[in-house]
Amino acid sequence: MSKKRRGEPPEFRAGEWLKGDGPQNDIAICTRVRLARNLQGFRFSPRLEADEAKQLTEYVVQRLAAPGLPDELAVVDLPLLEEIERTVLVERHLISREQATSKKARSVAINAEESVALMVNEEDHLRLQVFQSGLSTEAAWKHAEQVDEALMQRLPLAYSEEFGFLTSCPTNTGTGMRLSVMLHLPGLVWAEEIEKATNTAQKIHLAVRGLYGEGSKALGDFYQVSNQVTLGRTEQQLQSDVQLAVSRVVQWEREVRDALLRGSARPRTLDRVHRALGTLERAQILSSEEALGCLSALRFGVHHGVVDGFDVAAINKALLLSQPAHLQRFTKERLEPEERDQRRAKLLREILGCEP
Amino acid sequence: MQICSSCQKNPSTIVLMDLDGGSVSSQQHLCSPCAEKLGVVQPKTPLKLSADLLEDLLGSVQQKASQKRREPGCPGCGMTTQQFKNTGRLGCPRCYESFRDDLVPLLQRVHESSQHRGRLPGQLQAAPPPMLRASAPMEELVTLRKQLDDAVRGERYEEAASLRDALRRAEQRDAGGDAGENS
Repeated sequence: MSKKRRGEPPEFRAGEWLKGDGPQNDIAICTRVRLARNLQGFRFSPRLEADEAKQLTEYVVQRLAAPGLPDELAVVDLPLLEEIERTVLVERHLISREQATSKKARSVAINAEESVALMVNEEDHLRLQVFQSGLSTEAAWKHAEQVDEALMQRLPLAYSEEFGFLTSCPTNTGTGMRLSVMLHLPGLVWAEEIEKATNTAQKIHLAVRGLYGEGSKALGDFYQVSNQVTLGRTEQQLQSDVQLAVSRVVQWEREVRDALLRGSARPRTLDRVHRALGTLERAQILSSEEALGCLSALRFGVHHGVVDGFDVAAINKALLLSQPAHLQRFTKERLEPEERDQRRAKLLREILGCEP
Repeated sequence: MQICSSCQKNPSTIVLMDLDGGSVSSQQHLCSPCAEKLGVVQPKTPLKLSADLLEDLLGSVQQKASQKRREPGCPGCGMTTQQFKNTGRLGCPRCYESFRDDLVPLLQRVHESSQHRGRLPGQLQAAPPPMLRASAPMEELVTLRKQLDDAVRGERYEEAASLRDALRRAEQRDAGGDAGENS
């Protein structure tokens, strides 16, 4: 482990989840493996007293310092960060909203590529997240497995032969694994088939959630699809379940997109994309919700050659920087919501090269 | 107002009357302290709510209470079955054994399985940390309470007294420590 990044903001690279490469990256933005782990000898996080939470966090951080981790992780002591910096980490999917707002001792250990983030003292003692661009469930699982083995060697994890890894909530027991793929599904949304897709996924025990997980809205047509069951199946089975199901959703999205770009549906689709671009080029006030919607349509348009001269990487960057905390962090200004919406409109024009 | 006829100082609060054939034969005005001194009234003492007294008073409730005591919750964290049922969350790794009977059907509902098939740390597992003892006080409290309960039930009062003292010491050691049931 390298130096501690105390209070230092993360840089404004896109991070693994918005890198924009990997298989099927026009639709599958990023694959994420989340493993829930707990230590023997401590009560689960929600029941820890303040001093116990501190003891746990310090112990884990100290054990992570032992050499030989597959990734070099920088530890961020979350209570030392300003609220806006913690929100930046939430917007980058590196910590959860709950971890950002908790009052107890807690940390996150992140590698430079932001493909590994280990939350300490979240709902479980450890929540490991591993990200891989595109639809890459196998690569993501292999990477997670490596980090997990390094954790096993350093920390006495709580498990039983019968129930597997023991977690605070029984919905995560067993493998403790939640494998999710973030999908960009404007086609299914525009063709009004998203509900059908969601229901189908739920029937085969997959959960469909918004951009920021449980209970969040599907902003900008971004969805997360993940396994619901964690017990009774091996990690490989879960991985191939999700890979198969998500591949089908991706296929479905492709078919719908083709249909939207053909025949009588085409003019309306082109209109949507151009209107979105017009808004991005001309609007003076943009909420983050409207910005995400427009960027979603633009992303679709760029992938299908409806508009050209835009770089997908720039669109991804715009997606990230239009989030409230990123916007304020990037512009180095603390802004009221109304000012924020003006600043966002300007920033997006700059990123997309619509303003000299 | 009448002054106490005994101490001649305090205002009287009690009138003592001797009745003779339906008519008052003599009358004495007393204040409370003097009345107590003369043994006319019982001294006022705060009602002590001992567990035994309560058990005598509250027949059916007592049964419930002793059932609760027989079920001290998870020895790892003190969580009770009721707390587990209310929240659906577990308190510590040992809860998985403590609440096994309720947990297995729950897992079956959620996952359609209650048997892990994935990987386990096995040989990779790190040695337990020094602070594994972190849970010891909690466990000690739960064990002591259970022993005390058994001793009282078995009417082994000397043993119960020493267990009670040990429990008190353990509770004090667990500084500011909530013994677990409400934490």
